[in-house]
Amino acid sequence: MTVDQISSVADRPGAAASAGRAQAAGRPRTSMTARRHRAFYMFTSPWIIGFLLLTITPMAYALWLSFTTFDGISPHWRYVGLGNYRELLNDPVTWDALGRAGLFAVTSVPLSIIAGLALAVLINRPVKARGLFRTLLYLPAVVPPVGAGLAFKSLFDPNSGAANGVLTFFGFDAVGWLGDPYARYVLLMTVLWTAGNVMIISLAGLQDVPRELHEAARIDGASAWRTFRSITVPLLSPVLLFQTVTGMIASVQTIMPLLLAPLGDTSGITTVPQSNYLYMMHVFAQYFALGRYGYASALLWVLFVLILIATGLIFKFTSGVVFYNVDPEAKK
Amino acid sequence: MHSQAGAPVSRRRFLALSAGGAVGGAAALSGCALQVSSGVSGSGENVTVMVNSGDILPEQVKQAQEDLGIKIALVKFDITKLIAMLTSGNPPDLVRGVGAVDAPFYAARDVAENLDPYFARSSVLKSDDLDPVNDLWRFDGRTQGKGPRYGMAKDFSQDSMFWYDTAAFDKGGVGYPPETEPVTYEEWLDNAKRLVQRKNGQTTVFGGSFNGLTRSTLLATMTASAGGSLFSDDFSRVDFTTPEARKALTWYIDYCRTKVGPSLIQPDPNGWDGPTYQAGRLAMSNAGYWMGGMIYPDKKLAPVSRLAPAPVFAGGPRISACQGGTGLWMPRRAKNKDAAWRVFEWFFGEEPARARASGGWGIPTLKSLRSLMPDQEDYQKRVLKVQNNELKHFSVVSFTPYTRADAIDALFNQIAPAAMNGQLSVDTLAGRLNSAINEQMKRGKEQVG
Repeated sequence: MTVDQISSVADRPGAAASAGRAQAAGRPRTSMTARRHRAFYMFTSPWIIGFLLLTITPMAYALWLSFTTFDGISPHWRYVGLGNYRELLNDPVTWDALGRAGLFAVTSVPLSIIAGLALAVLINRPVKARGLFRTLLYLPAVVPPVGAGLAFKSLFDPNSGAANGVLTFFGFDAVGWLGDPYARYVLLMTVLWTAGNVMIISLAGLQDVPRELHEAARIDGASAWRTFRSITVPLLSPVLLFQTVTGMIASVQTIMPLLLAPLGDTSGITTVPQSNYLYMMHVFAQYFALGRYGYASALLWVLFVLILIATGLIFKFTSGVVFYNVDPEAKK
Repeated sequence: MHSQAGAPVSRRRFLALSAGGAVGGAAALSGCALQVSSGVSGSGENVTVMVNSGDILPEQVKQAQEDLGIKIALVKFDITKLIAMLTSGNPPDLVRGVGAVDAPFYAARDVAENLDPYFARSSVLKSDDLDPVNDLWRFDGRTQGKGPRYGMAKDFSQDSMFWYDTAAFDKGGVGYPPETEPVTYEEWLDNAKRLVQRKNGQTTVFGGSFNGLTRSTLLATMTASAGGSLFSDDFSRVDFTTPEARKALTWYIDYCRTKVGPSLIQPDPNGWDGPTYQAGRLAMSNAGYWMGGMIYPDKKLAPVSRLAPAPVFAGGPRISACQGGTGLWMPRRAKNKDAAWRVFEWFFGEEPARARASGGWGIPTLKSLRSLMPDQEDYQKRVLKVQNNELKHFSVVSFTPYTRADAIDALFNQIAPAAMNGQLSVDTLAGRLNSAINEQMKRGKEQVG
C-alpha cells in the first residue's frame, strides 16, 4: 500500500465519520496518515540522530580539518586550502601504503570468501555433529581482534612462538615471522582465521538454494562440481557480491597490522613492518604519532571517495553476473 | 509552507529538525562534560586527573577525599582523549606527562600553566627541596631546564644506567661491570655479544637491552655523551651527520644489527624489559634505578641483580641524564586550579610520594624523601650506593619544543629498520632521518609561532 493509497483510505466516508467522532470527543484531529508519518519518524529518529551526530558531524569536521594545518593542540593553525590534498598526491609513502592496501584487499577478500564458502559447503552436508563443527568453525570470528592479534603475535614470535618451535623441532631454522617479508603472510592468516564470518553468511545463502534444483540437476546427470558451478554459485551470487563489497571496505580499513606490531604505543604505529604498512596505518601515524590532523583527515576523505568509486565499479562490473532470485510478478 | 498541528512533518523538515536536535544534543553533551571539573574552591570539590592506571591507586583517591575533602576523578591517560579535551576547552585539571619531552612541547604551545606562583606560596613543595630533575619541567621559551616550572616529576631514574644479572655473567664467564666507573658503550656491546645465547636461529637469552625510554631521548642523550648535541642551538633542527650524533647512531644501529637484544627488528614480545629480565632471558637491562621496584620483591632475582653506571663513549664526557621525569602538569584552561594544586601538593609531597619513595620505583623528586629509599637488604644498600654516586653526573639534556618525542620515534621506526637489517648505510640513514624529522620540526615551529 502506497502513501497515496493510505491517504485515500483516510478520505473514505468511514474514516471521516471516525474523525468526526474524535472531534466530537474533544480530541485533536489526527489523520491515520499523520499518525503513520509520526510513527515512522519516531521509530527512525534514533538512527537518524545517531547518524547525524556520529557520522555526518565527524565527517564534516574531518573535511574542515583537511583544509587546515591543525595539530590538535597548537592555537597557531592556518587554512591551507587544498594544500593537504596536493601534498597527498605527491607523497610516495601515501601511494605505497595505498598500493599495499589495494593488494591486500584483492588478495584477502577472495581468499576469505573462498575459504568461508568452502567451509560453508562442508558444514552444509548432513554429517554427524554438524552443529559442533559449525560452532567450532565460527568461534574464531567472535574472538575480539585485539585478542586474536595478541594470540597471533605470541604464536609467531621469532624467539618464543609455537610456529618456530615446530620448525626448529623438525630441524629447520627459525623464521622472523613478524618482520619483512613474512609479516604479510601472518596478516593474511589472521584474516583467514576469521573466515567463520563469511562462512555463516554463505551457509545462510546455501540453505536458501532450492533443493529441487539440485535434485533436477542430479537426475539430468550433472556432476557435483557442475551443480555447484551452475546452480549454487549463481544463486549465491548476491551473497557473494555483498561479501565482496563489505570485505573490500573492511580490508582497506583493517587495523590488524597494528595489533601485530612490536610496540603498542603511539609511535608504535610505525613499527609495523613495511609489508604491512597499509593505508590505515599511514592515517593512524599521521593523526596520532605525527599530530598532523589536517593531512590525516585529507587522507581519510580520499579513502572515502576511493571506497565509493571501488564500490560503484564492483556493482557495475558484476551487474551482468549477479543473479537476483526474485519473482518477476512481484514487480507488477 | 508551514506545518500545522496534526499535519505530517515533511521529510526535509524532519531532517532539518534532526540536525538541529543533533547540534542541540552535542551542545547538551558538551555542557554535561563541562560540569565534570567545574566548581568553586573549597571543600567538597572535584578534580579531574588524567593518569595511567597505577599512578594513583583507588585507595589513595579515597584517602584524598577524606584528607583533602577533594573528590578526584581519574581519567585514563590517552593522548587522543587529551587532545579532544583540550580542543573542546574542557581539559583535565592535572595531566600525566613525561617531563623530558612533554614539558617544552606543551609550554611552547601555551597550553600548560606556569606553576611558579603556586610553588612560591606552597608550604609542601619548597623550591630548595626540589631535586634538580624537576628542572626538566622548566622551559624559558627556548631552552628546557630554565625558566618557569610547568610541572613536576613524581620520581625519576638516570635512564642510561643498567641492571645486570650476575648469574648470566657467571654462566657466560664474563666479568662484572664495575659499579663505580662506567663501561664504554663499546665494552657494553662486547659484553652483550658474549652473553647472548642462541639456538637454531632463535635467541634464548638476550645479551642486553639498550633502547632508552624513547629512541629520540636515547639518541639525544647518547649524542650528549659523545660530546655533542642532536639539536641545533635553537632546537629547530636535528643533525645526525655531526660526528657525535653519527657516533651515537652508529652504535645504536650496530646494537640492533648484531641482534644481541630487543630492537625494532627483534622485538621483545613482553613489550618491555621487566618480565624478560625476571625470567632470566635478559642479562643486562638499560632500565635505570626504577626497575628496582620490580626486582626487590623477587627474592631470587634481587640478590643476583646489580646496578651499573651509565656507559660513556671513550674520551667523551660522563653524562647520566634522566630521559623521563614523568609527572603531572596543569592545563592553562583547567577549571579548578586551586583544588588541582592541592592535589598536586598531595601527590608530590605527601602520602603517595612517600609510598613511591619507599617502594623502589624511582628516586624521589624531593630531596627530603631520599631517606625513604629502600636500603634494608645488602643488595639494596649496594644499589643505592651506586645510584647515589651516579647522581653527581646528572644533567638535563634539553629536548626540542617543536615536536613530540613520539613523532620523532615514529619517523625513526619507519626509516631505521632498513639500516638495522643492513640494507642502508648509517650515513644514508642519517641523511634520511634529518630530512624527515626536520620537515616535521619545521611544521612544529610554524605551529608554535
